[in-house]
Amino acid sequence: MEKEYSLWADAFRRLAKNKIALISLVIVVIYAIIAILVSLGLLAGNWAEEVGPENVAPTAEYLLGTDFLGRDVLRKVIYGTQVAMTVGFFSCVIAIPIGVTLGAVAGYFGGFVDEIIVWFYTTFASIPYLMMLISISYVMERGLKSMCIALGVTSWVGLCRLVRGEVIKHRNRDYVQAVTSLGGGHAKKLFQHILPNIFHLVIINASLRFQSAIKSEVILSYLGLGVQGTPSWGKMIDDAKQDLMQGQWWQLAGATLAMFFIVLALNILGDALRDALDPKLKGQES
Amino acid sequence: MSKHLLEVKNLTVEFHTGEGITRAVDNVSFTIDEGETVGLVGESGSGKSVTSLAIMDLIPKPPGKITQGEILFQGKDIVTATDSEMRGLRGNDISMIFQEPMTALNPLFKVGSQICESIILHQKVGKKEAWNKALELMHQVGIPNPKNRAHSYPHELSGGQKQRICIAMAIACSPKLLICDEPTTALDVTIQKQVLELIANLQKVHKMGVLFITHDLGVIGDIADDVLVLYKSKLVEHDNVKKIFTNATHPYTKGLLSCRPGIKHNPRRLLTVSDYVDAEGNEKIVPAKALEPFEKSFDFNDKENPVLLEIKNLKTYYPIKAGFFRKTIAHVKAVDDVSFDIRRGTTYGLVGESGCGKTTLGRSILRLVEPTEGQVIYNGVDVTDLNSTDLRNLRSKMQIIFQDPYSSLNPRMTISQILTEPMEIHNIGSNKKERLELAKALVNRVDLEQNHLARYPHQFSGGQRQRIAIARALAVNPEFIICDESVSALDVSVQAQVLNLLQDLQEERNLTYIFISHDLSVVNYISDYVGVMFQGKLVEYGTAKEVYTNPRMAYTKNLLEAIPKGIPKTV
Repeated sequence: MEKEYSLWADAFRRLAKNKIALISLVIVVIYAIIAILVSLGLLAGNWAEEVGPENVAPTAEYLLGTDFLGRDVLRKVIYGTQVAMTVGFFSCVIAIPIGVTLGAVAGYFGGFVDEIIVWFYTTFASIPYLMMLISISYVMERGLKSMCIALGVTSWVGLCRLVRGEVIKHRNRDYVQAVTSLGGGHAKKLFQHILPNIFHLVIINASLRFQSAIKSEVILSYLGLGVQGTPSWGKMIDDAKQDLMQGQWWQLAGATLAMFFIVLALNILGDALRDALDPKLKGQES
Repeated sequence: MSKHLLEVKNLTVEFHTGEGITRAVDNVSFTIDEGETVGLVGESGSGKSVTSLAIMDLIPKPPGKITQGEILFQGKDIVTATDSEMRGLRGNDISMIFQEPMTALNPLFKVGSQICESIILHQKVGKKEAWNKALELMHQVGIPNPKNRAHSYPHELSGGQKQRICIAMAIACSPKLLICDEPTTALDVTIQKQVLELIANLQKVHKMGVLFITHDLGVIGDIADDVLVLYKSKLVEHDNVKKIFTNATHPYTKGLLSCRPGIKHNPRRLLTVSDYVDAEGNEKIVPAKALEPFEKSFDFNDKENPVLLEIKNLKTYYPIKAGFFRKTIAHVKAVDDVSFDIRRGTTYGLVGESGCGKTTLGRSILRLVEPTEGQVIYNGVDVTDLNSTDLRNLRSKMQIIFQDPYSSLNPRMTISQILTEPMEIHNIGSNKKERLELAKALVNRVDLEQNHLARYPHQFSGGQRQRIAIARALAVNPEFIICDESVSALDVSVQAQVLNLLQDLQEERNLTYIFISHDLSVVNYISDYVGVMFQGKLVEYGTAKEVYTNPRMAYTKNLLEAIPKGIPKTV
């Protein structure tokens, strides 16, 4: 007797078979836990403390050395995790609803509605993204909140296009036609039938969006538009400009490594999710 | 040196996957001689395609593995041949024609250059010479005006022409063995007839051995000398085509032979393969019901029986837009001024070749596609005039069963969700529990099991899925169902079961059907009236008997003549 799994349980079972993906998932979860602990004040709250002499290279005592004020670089890296994860999370929370709603509405209803939405996002996408980020950061106060909003508001276009295309593909499929012939309305067709069938794409997209937001945070902070007053990976890399001249590499290395692992993990996870969630591949296997 | 062209000895192919070992072909032996056509019959999953792939050495390894046996082509073993030896054989001495001519051709290249490709590869001739040879081949496979056509891209050709191009590619290097993997399944009957004749003629000219794979015994009867029957990976019958048709020994073959509806006489209920295979000792197998000769007799003007659906001058046009301002320059007349009546409890069969507008007609009646003009009067109500609320209420009365059971069920919903959703929409059953009970009754009715309710569509076979689709249509207690090619995607044996189910349901619930199909024998079996469509118009209609025995239009005659007789020429 063949065991019965729901599609999501089945997807997770297949994800669990993929060792590297599983490790990636664990890394993401660890980063998330660190971020939560930091924001609760349970971890690295004392990052500003002067722990020793300035500019000490990594030793057993200071694993990633100290900065020019004698602060522990490791604590700063840990504190920066919170900034990165917050930016990644909230930019997704903002971008996904906008992208999915507009894309789904445009794709499903087509015609005039579609034309307006397509016009809107093509116009929006033609504005250079960095200019937009900078102007939003200036209009609002600089800081974590404005950065999340800026990244969220500028990154929905790709997802919107993807969702629109997929909805167009699905809306004329027989199973949707079947719902029409059974008397189902627009809301039922769109929310109960079409969206669940393309939602795996949204999740995959989210994992990739998350890491690109983390990278953008670094760029923004480097340009001086990032968080103010607290450490972030972007600011640390910015600070490391001067350090590097004097041969002090540890601040740069700490922030870059921290970023490297989470970005890599999210990328691998995104790929693995695509394989695990795609119903087309499932058909081939069985 | 063996005297056979191809000799397959004790071939066993296994697939090793994470879930376990599947034996796709089990100890199969047969031979093909020069100039001989061997038919390979079996249902999907019986191992017939794997057998043909093994001969081409195209089995994906892993997971596939030839665990036993040898395949001798002109005395040389293919199983142990090296890759480069195989490349020399493939397309040169052994070539293959696939089922889907749409996907077998590369859409980015002109068809002429695609034919040239294998000529240049195997015959070491120059481009110009190869091109001339390609033109000659296109002429040979009956493509009119090859000089111009060679410059066409695949999408510019019809399905039949594409298959001819595939055949031209296959015979480009005068192969000694031609493998045809369901080459006509995707084609209309008239085209199928032409392609079969073409293959038979080419075989005579080139003295090729042909391995012809199909699930349709009717086709085999027209073309093969010898027939192999594969059932559950095993070779269950191997005999001369005449003997297979007159004196089959294995119950599966008997089942296959009798489950296909014919053009002349049909029983009330089709026999199915399981009637034979499951019967103990294969002796007392003939259900009495199946033996009753059956002829429906209906009076077109039966006053007792009310007209349920009346279609008046229905037109569905699609605009063709062009230019910068997307101005409408013309219309595709998918349905062009069609009128007919259907009485309650009867079946109206719609036949025609692909692209004749029969599917659009079906969908226009249900307003899944908005008709351009005309009326659809259902029980006195004009459907084309209803607002969306009234239409939605009426939808419970009118249902549709689609062709492809793989795409008509939402892959992310369980069977119980699929079945209870329409009940929720139309407030059938007062609560969840009641609806679940109704769903259980439905799955029982369509011969599935109750524990299937918790499963997802991908866990079912094609035939089972089509039953689920039927159950879903029944969930709202309809009076009228459109079956849009509902059995066309199924194997012959499964097709018979589904047709029986539809017949039984009609009797039980006094259902009215419109049965749309390109398969004339199926339509003949199930319909009381038949309408023949051609280019959007209903060109002929009448009772099934009238149309089939005495067609008035030349087009209908052509269609009828093209149906494979299912009887070998020699019988």
